[in-house]
Amino acid sequence: MNNKGAILPAEDGVESAVIGWLKEALSKKVFDALLIPVEVPAGDSFAYLLLRNPALLENASPLPPVMPVQGAKAISRLTMRGNGSKRVAAIVRPCEARAAIELTKLEQAHLDNLWLITVDCPGVLPLSDYLEDPVAGAARFAEASQRWDRAPMRPVCQICHHFSMPASDLHIGTLGSAEGTVFVIPGSPKGERVMENLGMPLDAALDDWAARVKEMEEVQRERRRQAHTDLKAGIAGPDGLLDVFSSCINCHNCQRVCPVCYCRQCYFESAALKLPPENYLARAGRKGALRFPPDTLLFHIGRASHMVLSCVSCGTCEDACPMSIPVAQVFSLLADRAQETFGYVAGRSLEDPLPLVAYEMDELHQVEQPYVETYHGLQIADCEQEVQDA
Amino acid sequence: MSDKQEFEPRIIYILCSWCGSGGGETAAAHHLHYPENVRPYRVNCTGALPTVHIIRPLIEGADGVAISGCHPGDCHYNDGNFRARRRVALVKSILDTLDLEPERVWFRYVAHGEGRRFVDTATEFNDHIKKLGPNPLKTRSDT
Amino acid sequence: MLEGLKINKGAEEAVRDLLRSLLESGRVSGVLALGRTGGGNGGVAYSLFTDPDAFGADGVALPLLPFMPANAGGLLSRLTLKGPLAEPVAVVVKPCELRAFIELVKRNQGSPDNLLLISSTCGGVYPLEVGANDALEERLPGYWEAVKQGELDSDIRPTCRACVHFVPDNADITVALLGEADLDTQCALYLNTEKGSAFIEGLEDLQGTPLLGELEAEPIQRSRDQRAAYREELFAGVEAGLEGLIRTFGRCIGCHACKTVCPICYCSLCYFDSQDCEYRPEVYETELERKGGLRLPPNTIFFQLGRLAHVSVSCVGCGMCTDVCPADIPLSTIFSKVGDSVQALFDYQPGRDVTEEVPLMTFEEEELVQVAT
Ligand code: SF4
Ligand code: SF4
Ligand code: SF4
Ligand code: SF4
Ligand code: SF4
Ligand code: SF4
Repeated sequence: MNNKGAILPAEDGVESAVIGWLKEALSKKVFDALLIPVEVPAGDSFAYLLLRNPALLENASPLPPVMPVQGAKAISRLTMRGNGSKRVAAIVRPCEARAAIELTKLEQAHLDNLWLITVDCPGVLPLSDYLEDPVAGAARFAEASQRWDRAPMRPVCQICHHFSMPASDLHIGTLGSAEGTVFVIPGSPKGERVMENLGMPLDAALDDWAARVKEMEEVQRERRRQAHTDLKAGIAGPDGLLDVFSSCINCHNCQRVCPVCYCRQCYFESAALKLPPENYLARAGRKGALRFPPDTLLFHIGRASHMVLSCVSCGTCEDACPMSIPVAQVFSLLADRAQETFGYVAGRSLEDPLPLVAYEMDELHQVEQPYVETYHGLQIADCEQEVQDA
Repeated sequence: MSDKQEFEPRIIYILCSWCGSGGGETAAAHHLHYPENVRPYRVNCTGALPTVHIIRPLIEGADGVAISGCHPGDCHYNDGNFRARRRVALVKSILDTLDLEPERVWFRYVAHGEGRRFVDTATEFNDHIKKLGPNPLKTRSDT
Repeated sequence: MLEGLKINKGAEEAVRDLLRSLLESGRVSGVLALGRTGGGNGGVAYSLFTDPDAFGADGVALPLLPFMPANAGGLLSRLTLKGPLAEPVAVVVKPCELRAFIELVKRNQGSPDNLLLISSTCGGVYPLEVGANDALEERLPGYWEAVKQGELDSDIRPTCRACVHFVPDNADITVALLGEADLDTQCALYLNTEKGSAFIEGLEDLQGTPLLGELEAEPIQRSRDQRAAYREELFAGVEAGLEGLIRTFGRCIGCHACKTVCPICYCSLCYFDSQDCEYRPEVYETELERKGGLRLPPNTIFFQLGRLAHVSVSCVGCGMCTDVCPADIPLSTIFSKVGDSVQALFDYQPGRDVTEEVPLMTFEEEELVQVAT
């Protein structure tokens, strides 16, 4: 991250300042197109639009009240088959940018010609809360985000500590800025080039922004720790865990909307788990009954083992769960612990290798079961006994 | 207590096709015995072992899963055992966070020539699982 | 006239007894029915039960619960996808679940062999939301009161209030529920097939008196009229035309949950999730040139229209799609509405008869002259 940025006037609020700035970037041909949330025709939600026509920015919002589609999914759809020839600026939430970085490492997105632009994030509302009354939802969101009050936001937004600049190319700092202004902060050489092309000298000190971010981050970290401790008490052990997932209907929507679950055909829907009836009956016979469809817990734990090192705690899974299961909270807990094991933070940088792709020779000895040869003597005695018996 | 003594665990012993299984062959050549309830499950290389193959038995009826591949530096594919170690660390982290007894998973290197170590591992793991008692997940019908 | 058995027990208890004794006597090896999951905190799922105790008085099974966590038609397909059952299994499902299964059998996605199909005259199910909020239990007394009168609780799925096929078509045994005023003390089981009678014949614990009756009595007909009227009302609310579609599906997040839970959508890899629908950046760029702006992920309307084309002929109006949609789109209303017209065109009724061919898998030389210009 740069320690200098530029100041952008924002007398009419952050949204219109950012939109104005993006319009200028489009007209100066710094970008060929924008990928940005735009209100849908019925005015009751937002969708990512790839646009080159500035008129379409009229209903665009760099900070919409909801995250119906995780932005990294949109980015991946655009660039999964390679870098495009157009320069695209994607305006996304920090967790969406982090997921885009994970997807790039997973070779499901290509960022050479795409600029990730983020804004200090107040969180988003749960989709279902918002859809109950979109107008009231938008007002509630505006009011709460003004005060940085995360109470009405999604549970994972309430405990989000990566709400500011991750590894985006350009970041809009709204924290710590003087009234009626925001910071524009380049986060990569790519981002710096854009600033240059826009004629925006990097002459503003960022200390105030950095200090406010740090302060808020510490509060959030503490909240996260507390929330995870409470959560863990509720879900621990087979009883707790099976209680949490007791109403799961196996729709796998949590997986389908998850940005880092990118597989075209998920293992848990594949032929690998579709077995002849005798198998199901035998399993039922062992346990007295077999929940059907089977493998609910296998799906959740197995999915975690596939992707939790790249989970960005974005909350999309929880938003899409028809049974209101706190999937994202559970996964954020699993993610924090697992990523800690490998000293990895999902979406921190494009350079850190994915933990399951890399390894060190000298590491993780705690999982190796030490051999102390205690069983030697015992075995010999056993064998001798057997020989004698024979 | 008496319940636990009588309890015969169901154990899956995942072995790579080179060292782990080789250890088993050496043990056989030396007529070394290991408990019958420890079922060997051979994979090409522990580095190619999907995490789901560790998790699934633990939900579907095994009381423990042990994994043996080559010693560091001996992997026939150079680094399969290091990759396996990372996966085991991941699975254990998940089980630990969920309080699902990560100690039901063991990871220990066994070389082709180490028949004794193979048999000891099977036996020691079996005793260890006996002490832990039956895996509570295996009787739950709502998994 | 239908033959059956009148049992001097409440319907819930009689059905539990039936299932328990079927398992105990070894006449079936398993029973697929609803039951509680977790530590009794409100979770409900289908299970394949083998232990008869599940159907005892304190058992976890809830065979008649008005809830549908998954369309059991899809589950029966999953159970028998790799081959028919070698041993008999009884299932207790709702009429639309049964119809969905018949449609799947026609598509070679399952086999009815060795299945004892038990269904009931259906008073509808509650939306998933009610289960998610643990509010199912408290609704039940009101639900059963209404059902006794032949009425419907107004909080059940809209698609259930609009369902005119609530009398099961292919059940071996039908449990009479709707409009049975003495539901708490009496249970009428109609034995529609020889298979149904054979399984029940001489079953201990299930003593009853022979019954000659008629399912199509006044309450059923009244309910059908009421539901048909509500169906019209519901359909009238669907916004028509391209503009209407764009407004209705504007909120769609492209999660495809609707197709995942739809029993008729059986493909293991949906066309709309396949490589055919993953495009190179140039494709988007060309589109961008042409339109000035495009939605990502793409194919929102294409998916809906495509899915309508694929499934509407067999849509059983079960309402699963609506219930799981995170964007609250009234999918099953739209699919049922389109389904009605497509089905009328081919004089086809999904789930009616397993020997009837799916219209798009067959054709007649002399038909549909109206579509040729
Ligand atoms: S998870 Fe964090 S970055 Fe993502 S929307 Fe919520 S607050 Fe913003
Ligand atoms: S979205 Fe919810 S109900 Fe569906 S599989 Fe995931 S946790 Fe289960
Ligand atoms: S698991 Fe949930 S919280 Fe984690 S990245 Fe996927 S959608 Fe986001
Ligand atoms: S759960 Fe695993 S197999 Fe399924 S989509 Fe996610 S990463 Fe892929
Ligand atoms: S479930 Fe709803 S949001 Fe998801 S694809 Fe279907 S219509 Fe769209
Ligand atoms: S389209 Fe909807 S209502 Fe029709 S069968 Fe599928 S899930 Fe049921």
